Amino acid sequence: MSAYVLKRLLLLLPVLFGVSLVVFGVMSLVPGDPALAILGPYATPERLAELRAELGLDRRWPVRYGIWLSGVLDGDLGRSVSLERPVLDVVLERLGPTALLAGSALLLGTLLGLAAGMLAALRHNQMTDRLVTFGVLLGISIPSFWLGLVLILVFAVWLGWLPASGMTWVWSDASGLSAVPDIAWHLILPTLSLALVAGGVIGRLTRGAAIDVLASAPIRMARARGIPERRILLVQALKSVLARMTPVIGLQAGFVIGGAVYIETIFQWPGLGRLLVEAIAARDLLLVQGGVLVLAAAYVLVNLVADLAQHALDRRTRAA
Amino acid sequence: MAIQLAAVAGLLAGLLAGLLAGLLAGFFAGLFAGLFSICWVQAVMSMHWSGWQRHRGALLGPGLLALVLSPALIAPWLPLADPTLTEPALRMLPVAAPGHWLGTDALGRDLLSRLIWGARSSILVGVLATLTAAVIGSLIGLLAGFFGRLTDALLMRGVDVLMAFPYLLLALAIVAALGPGLSNAMLAIAIANVPFFARAVRGAVLEIRHQAYIDAARLAGHREPWIIVVEVLPNLVPTLLLLMTTTLGWMVLETAGLSFLGLGVQPPDADLGAMLGEGREFLTTYPRVAVLPGMVILMLVVGINLFGDALRDLLDPRLHDRAVRRKDRAKDRGEGSEKGSEEGSDRGSERGSVKGSISDALQDVSHRDDCHQGAFADAAIRNGSSLFAALAHTDASAVAAGNAVADGLALKSVDQSYDQHADAWANVSGRLGTASQPALLEVNALSVLVPGQCGPAIAVDRLELRLQAGERVGLVGESGSGKSLTALALLGFAPPGGGLEGAVRFDGNELLGLDAESLRDLRGRRIAYIPQEPLDALDPLLRIGDQLRGAIQAHLVAQQASFESTARDRAKAVAGSDADAGSSANVGLGSKRLTGASAGVSKPETLSDVGARVKALLAMVGLDQVRGIQRRFPHELSGGQRQRVVIAMALAHEPDLLIADEATTALDVTVQAEIIEVLDRLSRSRDRALLFVSHDLALVASLCERVLVLYAGRLVEDAPLEQLLRAPAHPYTAALLACSPELGRPEKPLAAIPGQPPAPRVVGLNGAADGFGGCRFADRCPNAQPRCEEQEPGLERWQDHHWVRCWFPLLRSD
Repeated sequence: MSAYVLKRLLLLLPVLFGVSLVVFGVMSLVPGDPALAILGPYATPERLAELRAELGLDRRWPVRYGIWLSGVLDGDLGRSVSLERPVLDVVLERLGPTALLAGSALLLGTLLGLAAGMLAALRHNQMTDRLVTFGVLLGISIPSFWLGLVLILVFAVWLGWLPASGMTWVWSDASGLSAVPDIAWHLILPTLSLALVAGGVIGRLTRGAAIDVLASAPIRMARARGIPERRILLVQALKSVLARMTPVIGLQAGFVIGGAVYIETIFQWPGLGRLLVEAIAARDLLLVQGGVLVLAAAYVLVNLVADLAQHALDRRTRAA
Repeated sequence: MAIQLAAVAGLLAGLLAGLLAGLLAGFFAGLFAGLFSICWVQAVMSMHWSGWQRHRGALLGPGLLALVLSPALIAPWLPLADPTLTEPALRMLPVAAPGHWLGTDALGRDLLSRLIWGARSSILVGVLATLTAAVIGSLIGLLAGFFGRLTDALLMRGVDVLMAFPYLLLALAIVAALGPGLSNAMLAIAIANVPFFARAVRGAVLEIRHQAYIDAARLAGHREPWIIVVEVLPNLVPTLLLLMTTTLGWMVLETAGLSFLGLGVQPPDADLGAMLGEGREFLTTYPRVAVLPGMVILMLVVGINLFGDALRDLLDPRLHDRAVRRKDRAKDRGEGSEKGSEEGSDRGSERGSVKGSISDALQDVSHRDDCHQGAFADAAIRNGSSLFAALAHTDASAVAAGNAVADGLALKSVDQSYDQHADAWANVSGRLGTASQPALLEVNALSVLVPGQCGPAIAVDRLELRLQAGERVGLVGESGSGKSLTALALLGFAPPGGGLEGAVRFDGNELLGLDAESLRDLRGRRIAYIPQEPLDALDPLLRIGDQLRGAIQAHLVAQQASFESTARDRAKAVAGSDADAGSSANVGLGSKRLTGASAGVSKPETLSDVGARVKALLAMVGLDQVRGIQRRFPHELSGGQRQRVVIAMALAHEPDLLIADEATTALDVTVQAEIIEVLDRLSRSRDRALLFVSHDLALVASLCERVLVLYAGRLVEDAPLEQLLRAPAHPYTAALLACSPELGRPEKPLAAIPGQPPAPRVVGLNGAADGFGGCRFADRCPNAQPRCEEQEPGLERWQDHHWVRCWFPLLRSD
């Protein structure tokens, strides 16, 4: 394990600490009595008093934060009022589908974006470049929630090719591996809705990076050495572009996770994003808190992976 | 620290109010000014840019924006139905129903009215969220950037933590805590975007902070708050405008998204996002109710983003470089055939590229005023043409007309240079014509054009050069004299955005205008190049061993040597037609030599030999003792080691011509000596020619037998080394020699040539092809006479093998 990896792992701690602080802090923005907000207007006075003591509302906030954090570290994210279950159980149950959707969307978006960006850079200022540039602009401008609806309308309602909602057919009792084709079938439309948007951002930045790389001195010198253009592109240029793009792809994971909130809502995908929207509607604050915390932590880890990948491609990168 | 905190607190309050008002006014003023200027620039572009189609997209931006914005802005005065008026009896009326052009929604509300009012709401919310994020973010960035240290560390760590959240999640958490509603949603989206602004503004402030005028303000005794408000803020305005425009589209999307989820604008108010959310229920039955608001959002955001792109292109100073770099690739002859559609692919494309450069340059003039206006006025007077005078007050039609004139001018002047060249040729051929041995490299009237702000400028002017195998020649001159451009041109590389004119014959075959594959085959195998900066020459991401292997594998003998074959085909074609007797004779000569050369090829390189070859090359440059060198990355080597690797790669195929372009300049003196030793050793070959490009006569003296002196793109002296050192004939060479420090004579004052070399002149300026009337050194020359200003001297024989371009060559001083 190199010094870079160690340093980068150590840097996780302050970031995760900061994230927990923000999540805790945001929830203290709740106007009025948090216990009342959490339990709702029909809570009994005894239960309210109990929760107030549990949250340490009578104490100063650093103490309250300490109580909350030690609970989080023990895996105790509180109890969901609306679902009457421990928050952690619900969140972990919903994390899988979200990871599947976000992961496949990020993968597809990355492939589309890289291919489109490289193609545009290679055909710079030609028709292909202009078409890609415009397509990519559409990608970053399109509301993903609208794209999802249009895809449903076209492919599910009009053409009837693909399912419009859920992760499996309602009548399906398949489990384990046999459920894979079913899930994959349901995954297509939501993945597309997210991937086209993510691919837009990645494609746009790839194009810029590739144009810079293709005009850079090392590429020019490779040409001066008579290295075949195909080799220059596939070995040298692609590696440079990838090294520049990995952090961007990592950041894009954040947009995919955020976009999943809309897409899961539209496609009735049983993931964390939809859970969050439902929890907000139900004023289930602890559930929102837990969901946000877990998704943020997952995002931090994705970015760790992206940074490590970048370091593997370009050994000059240093941990900030 | 206490002072800083106090300042922070004071500023926060004061600046928030000021910034908000200023930004609001500034933003809208900028928005409209930008809109108009872009429309204007676009109009100008579309008048005369050959590829104007590519910018139709940019016109689309303001068009779409206007389409959505204008009804939304004047919605209260339009004869629209009340967007919140519900009429259950009229629910889901179809399109074009009486009184409801787009029909009604589930509650019988007029859809068109709701779309327009909804757009109004979406834009307003987006703009307000952007402004809020901009104000908070720039405050943080400003304080962090300006005070640095602890303030910076604390603020930026906080920003980092906010950035650690997936984008929408933070906003969701905030809305969850504060409760749904328009203002809460807006605030949440704004906060989620604060990090973006904070980082960008901090970066901009850090840049501004190190400018001299900030120090000057400090020295003048101004306090930090004063400096921030008076000196820093105004300089941030363009950055902020740009940031806000590029984020606005995103903000509109996200606020609409929250409304879509039911967390933003609450019913019954019309908002595009909320309408989309409500329409979702009826997607299968009445898709229009959900689809239409989304289309309006799309149009709006596409318009904003196109507008933002155009604005960035205008405001971003790096754009110009980038445009130039793009052309670099396009003009790169190595890709000539691939880029054929735009650049043309044969010799004739040269004029095309000159034409392109001119119109691009004119393009620049039309919206840049950094081009020297005086020069244009001057040129206009001398040309007696209205072209440049018209340009001085950039007028669309004049630009269009001027373009045509400029095209004519360029072609004419290029022809002229050929004519002049033909006259001069008789003279020059006397210098170069050693018919006893065919030259390895023969350069005739090579001109290198570079893009100038006012048009293509001639950086190297009609250079004549001849190199025999086994010869080691130095090419010296000040920086900017065109040495490196010449070196690259010999590989067929034109400068970014420029072009090459003339002829470069390598081994008897014309090199300029070759197809990509033939050029590729030539580069690295027969002509190798060692650049100044080894870090640029090596790919930072690839291991040394891989790069060496790549260089070797580029030209395995098993592959066809296509440079020769193409050249042979060409020779046949030329010989077949009796177009140019001289050139066909020349090519015939070359191909004879080639057959001899290819018979003698003894570089057995199949894939299996590559590993051995790598080791041999490393040993050749003295790197075989460095452990694990093949596994290392360039940044893990010292500068000297890197340059040795570059030299090893250059020698991978035992090239006939080795061009070392300031190959030791980036190294320190002791390493320099080592590299010179390596170069000396490896260039001592009867079959190899060395062109050593340097500004350092002492280095040239240690390697070369003949020296060419370049001044302002013109060859001014060509002499055997001994003679040049002992008795330079050109005053410039003499001055260069006087500038060289002498070892062992530290008391000798280091001389410097007063003045600066003239910059390359624009094609066609002064009515002369080169843009110069007289001798280029005249204004710096101690011996200048009136004649020197009026007429340029030719390159004349001074003594045996000693040629000089001077009316009054220096007599021997000893």
